[in-house]
Amino acid sequence: MVLEATMICVDNSEWTRNGDYSPNRFQAQQDAVSLICGSKTQANPENTVGILTMAGKGVRVLVTPTSDLGKILGCMHGLEIGGEMNMTSGIQVAQLALKHRQNKKQNQRIIVFAGSPVTYDKKVLEMIGKKLKKNSVSLDVISFGEDDNGKPEKLEALVNSVNTSDSSHIVHVPPGSNALSDVLLSTPIFTEDGEGGSGFAAAAAAASGGAGGYDFGVDPNLDPELALALRVSMEEERARQEAAAKKAAEDGSKQEKGPEQSSSSKDIPMTDASLSSTQEIDKGVEPMDEETALLQQAIAMSMSESQPGQSSGGMADNEMPDAITVDQDLAHALQMSVSNDNKKDLSADVNKVVGDQSFLSSVIASLPGVDPNDPSVKDLLASMEESKGKENDKKSEGDDGDKQ
Amino acid sequence: MSTAIHRNQVDLVNFIDFTEVECLNYVVGSHPLSNALKQVFRDDEDLYLQSDADEQLLMYIPFMQVVKLYSIVIFGSEEDGPRTVKLFVNKEHMGFSNVNDYPASASIDLSSENLKGEPIILKYVKFQNVRSLTIFIEDNQGGTEETKVQKIILNGTTVDTTNMKDLKKIEEH
Repeated sequence: MVLEATMICVDNSEWTRNGDYSPNRFQAQQDAVSLICGSKTQANPENTVGILTMAGKGVRVLVTPTSDLGKILGCMHGLEIGGEMNMTSGIQVAQLALKHRQNKKQNQRIIVFAGSPVTYDKKVLEMIGKKLKKNSVSLDVISFGEDDNGKPEKLEALVNSVNTSDSSHIVHVPPGSNALSDVLLSTPIFTEDGEGGSGFAAAAAAASGGAGGYDFGVDPNLDPELALALRVSMEEERARQEAAAKKAAEDGSKQEKGPEQSSSSKDIPMTDASLSSTQEIDKGVEPMDEETALLQQAIAMSMSESQPGQSSGGMADNEMPDAITVDQDLAHALQMSVSNDNKKDLSADVNKVVGDQSFLSSVIASLPGVDPNDPSVKDLLASMEESKGKENDKKSEGDDGDKQ
Repeated sequence: MSTAIHRNQVDLVNFIDFTEVECLNYVVGSHPLSNALKQVFRDDEDLYLQSDADEQLLMYIPFMQVVKLYSIVIFGSEEDGPRTVKLFVNKEHMGFSNVNDYPASASIDLSSENLKGEPIILKYVKFQNVRSLTIFIEDNQGGTEETKVQKIILNGTTVDTTNMKDLKKIEEH
C-alpha cells in the first residue's frame, strides 16, 4: 500500500509504429499503460496517475495526476504517432507535474516507456537521474523496441543514478509472442508494492490470458494459495538453478588452478562443526595415494580432539586449498596430535598413519621448529612402533569423538 | 555565548511535529534527518544527516504550535559541515527548484566556531510567528559532494505556552 503519485511517459514517436510487438509497439504500450494505471490506482485509493507523451510537437501532458481511472484511460485514445522521443524534457516535465501534486504526502514516481533509440549522452541522463534522486523521485524505465547505440546501458545508467534503496527499476522487454503488458506483470514495476500490486497482477493476468494463459494451468482466482505456492516454488527453483549455474562456472574456473579442486564430494563422517575446515583438506588430499588419505583422517581427528587454542592455528592454515601448503599443514596438525600424548586412542590412530616410517620421518624433518633428533620425538616414535598393529576399531571411536 | 539563550527560551525539540518533518536529498535508510534533530539521536556522534546526490540539503521542520525562534545551532565537522545555510519561515513544501523564488528569512555563512556549537542569533522580527521552518543547506565547508550535519538545535519560545505560564503565575499571587 504505497501512497504514490505516478507520471507515465508514453513514447509516441515514429519508432512505435513497428509491429514487432503485437499488435504494434504503440498499442502494446497502451495496454501496458492501462494495466499500470489500474494497478496503481488499486494499490491505494489515494494514489494518482498522470500521463504525458514525449514525442510529437513537444512534450504534452495529457492528464495531470488524478485518481480518476476513466479520465486516465480516456486520454489514451486518439493519440497520434509522430516525431522523435524527447526523453529528457519528458522526464523533467513529469517531475514538474509531480511536484505540483495535490497530496504532498504521496511518493513521486515516473514511469518511462522507451521504444525508440536513446540519442542522449550517458552523462546527460545521469545528471537528470541525480536531479530526480535529489528530489526523491523514483524512476521506472521500460525499455523495448530499438536497442541500438548502447540504449540498455544508457538507460541502466539513468536508473542507477536515481536508485535509492531499490526503489527504481528497469525492465528490458525483447520482442516476442508475449504481450508487453504480460511480461511487465511479473516485474518489480508491478510486484514491488507488496500484496496489492501482485494480487492485481495475478487477477489481470488471469483476465487477459484466458484459460490457456494461466501459469502452471491453475486459475489463480479459483485457488490463490495454490497459485501462490506454485509461483513461489518456481521462483525458488529459478534461484536454485541460477546458483547452480554460478557454482558450476566458478568450479570450472577453479579447476584450472589445480587438480586438487576436482573432487569436492568425498564423504567422510564428520560433524558440522569440523566439516567446513576439514572439507578443504578433504579436497586437497583425495587424489593422492591411500596413505595420505589415512593421514588426512588422522588430522581431521587431531584437529577436533586437540585444544581449541592449539587447533586454531592449524585450522586457519588448513583453509588454504593449495596442495603444497596442505602437506605442510598435515605435518603441522600431525605434530599437534602427536604432542598431545594423553590422547591414547588418537596416538593409536596416528600409529596407522605412521606405519610408513620413511614418510613420517620426512614429515617430521620438514616441520618448522621440530628437531627429528629430539629425544621426546624419538620416544614417541618408538612408542608408536610398539603399539603398531593393535586394534583398528579405534578409528570409529575417533569419529564419534569428532561429533562432540 | 551566554546571552544566546534568554530566560524564557527553551530548546524547541519537544515542539517539533516529527510526523510531518520532511527532508530532501538525504541518504535514505542510514542517515535521515532525525539523526540530527531527534533528542537522543542528535547527541550520538555516529548518527548524522548526510546528503546523497550532491551537497545540498533541504529540511522542512513544522512545529506543533506557533513559536518564536531566537537562535539556531548547527553542529558539523570542518571538512563536510554545512557552510551557506538559508532559513525560510512558513514556506511549505519547498523543492530545490524554488529555493531562489522566495527571499530567505535569514542567510547564514557558518564559521568553524558556529559548527562547534556557537549559536547563530536570528533577526528578532523575522522569526516571531513561526509555524514551520525550512532549512536549506546550499554548500559545505570543504566543497565536497557530501554534507554531514551532526546536530541541530533550535532555541526559542512557544507563543502559547509562555502566555499560559505567565497567567498561572499571576493566579498564584
